[in-house]
Amino acid sequence: VRRPRTLAELSAGTASLLLTLGAALLSAVLLILLLSRAPLTAIRYFFLGPFGSRYALGSLLSGAVPLVLTGLGMAVAFRSSVFNLGGEGQLYAGALSATVVMLALPGQSGYVGGAAALAVAVVTGAALAGLSGFLRMRWGTDELISSFLISAAVLRVVSFLITGPLSDPASNLQATRPIPAQYWLSGIFPPSRLSTSALFALVAAGLVFFLLYYTRTGYEMRMCGLNREFARYGGIDVSAYLLTPMLLSGALHGLAGGLSIMGTYHVAVKEFSAGLGWNGIAVALIAGSHPLAVLPAALFLAYIEAGAREAMLHSDVSLEIAAIVQAVIFFLVTARALARALRPRGVEARPGRGA
Amino acid sequence: VSGVQSPLPLLHNAVSIMTPFLLAAIGGLFTELAGMLNIALEGLILVGSFFAVVFAGLTGSLLAGVLLGVAATLLVALLFGAASLYLEANVFITGLATNLLASGLTAVLALRLFGNKGVLRFALPGLPVLSLQGIPALRRIPVLGDLLLGHNVLVYVSWLVLALAALLIHRTPFGLRLRGAGLGRETLSSLGLKPKRYQLAAILISGLTCGLAGAALTLRLGAFVPNISGGRGWIALVVIYLGNKTPAGILAAALLFGLAESLANYAQGATNVPAELILAFPYLLTVVAMTLYSIWRFYRGRA
Repeated sequence: VRRPRTLAELSAGTASLLLTLGAALLSAVLLILLLSRAPLTAIRYFFLGPFGSRYALGSLLSGAVPLVLTGLGMAVAFRSSVFNLGGEGQLYAGALSATVVMLALPGQSGYVGGAAALAVAVVTGAALAGLSGFLRMRWGTDELISSFLISAAVLRVVSFLITGPLSDPASNLQATRPIPAQYWLSGIFPPSRLSTSALFALVAAGLVFFLLYYTRTGYEMRMCGLNREFARYGGIDVSAYLLTPMLLSGALHGLAGGLSIMGTYHVAVKEFSAGLGWNGIAVALIAGSHPLAVLPAALFLAYIEAGAREAMLHSDVSLEIAAIVQAVIFFLVTARALARALRPRGVEARPGRGA
Repeated sequence: VSGVQSPLPLLHNAVSIMTPFLLAAIGGLFTELAGMLNIALEGLILVGSFFAVVFAGLTGSLLAGVLLGVAATLLVALLFGAASLYLEANVFITGLATNLLASGLTAVLALRLFGNKGVLRFALPGLPVLSLQGIPALRRIPVLGDLLLGHNVLVYVSWLVLALAALLIHRTPFGLRLRGAGLGRETLSSLGLKPKRYQLAAILISGLTCGLAGAALTLRLGAFVPNISGGRGWIALVVIYLGNKTPAGILAAALLFGLAESLANYAQGATNVPAELILAFPYLLTVVAMTLYSIWRFYRGRA
């Protein structure tokens, strides 16, 4: 398997990023024109719907919360040139493990039990991603493929647990019992579901920024991301940096899962996590893997998702147009030829990264 | 549930079920040799499976379904190749793009054309089964004859494709240059050849074989099920490694996964193991096989 020499700065410059995001929005318009029988209504709801009411705006913001966390998880991995394609399984398993802890502690105080639940979610996510990191470190097993396969298996096992042994017989949703009310994070923008989990996301972005740019570990991770051989000559234990970024990435995905339950859903619903792993990758790429740029990138992607949801609710467009718009972003966001064509004359290209 | 099943039907089934794995892995072998890890196989299979059965349903012809399904898959592969090679985008990310596009496109089109995002059923004749009973020599071989006879026509097409792929890779200048492109673009450039053309050819070949793999999935059922590719593209990547990047090895590894799926199908019918857990099994098996392979390679490299 040949991989790019550095994945750290995958996205290719501001002008081409703007072009990519513009192309994504344009593709949304084109799709609606092609697919809808009432395209003008659908387009209006796609673009303006997310700002149409307090509820819609709050939904957009609360949709951005898990995207910030998964985006940070992917950014950490990209910065160190490792790939975590198992984000969705890590998030889903983190969510279920947190739910199980909270259901097992019905009498505990919200702070103590909630902290325990989040800790278990973080450990679950970290363990799943860390397994792929460990296999890569120890025997050179490709972490890109193994993280995807482990996640794919875990998704099915978690779905089995939610619909089987842990299902709520009183509910007609395919879901567990709801978590006790003391664990619900308080809403901060009623009537929407935006909750204090947003504060966790902001703090996490700050912490990851601090870790990457103001600590030795972060420096060494970034060095490994830029050039593993060079980092080794510099005396860095490069094999450890196949495992550490995977652990961190998994931990952030697990946290996203636990917070989704405590802040938004209050029960673990079957397949609520669908697509969240891929979205995290899109967020990290749009953000150029910079932890603070993850915030606006997550908002942009949450806007597209919210737009597609509004268009679906108020017209005949299906939700999956969001997946196609996201595919357009993925096709263009790392295009180096695009960046080169848009770079002002006289500015030299950075030294090459393999394709 | 009565009695223990003889292993022969299981094996016969496995030979049939391995077809999509085999076809996708053959295409993936070309891109792998050309130096690209092709995670788009999954999406390409999905595109092929959708368009093959939809076109077969619309035209009433299985052959037209296969051909148009492959053509649609080639178009998506072309998009993937153009973005990866000519826009110089990262091949993993464009691979993800292809997979997302495939699941989004099939869902959106299913809803638009048939008003239904679930299972799409078509009134189609089954794929013709080649009995090959006319070849008595084959029939007389015990066990093996039983395993090789009586499959649908796409199963035999996949073996033909495998033989052609082996010839193309090992016996033609194209195959040599393709492997040259995989060693590094400079190798071919120094000979005055254009390495990207060989890489694009490899991606298009993977589109062709994944289109056939998709057709084999849906035309056998006469129906499209959302995300019917079910991880086969990812498993095909592992099949390529386990098969040591040779056509013969790929055949053996694909048979292993065909057998695993055949066993899983049997278990689903014969036991009370929940479907979700059985669906997890191929992924677990694949990651275990992949890990064992890398451990073996690790220690062989040391010895």
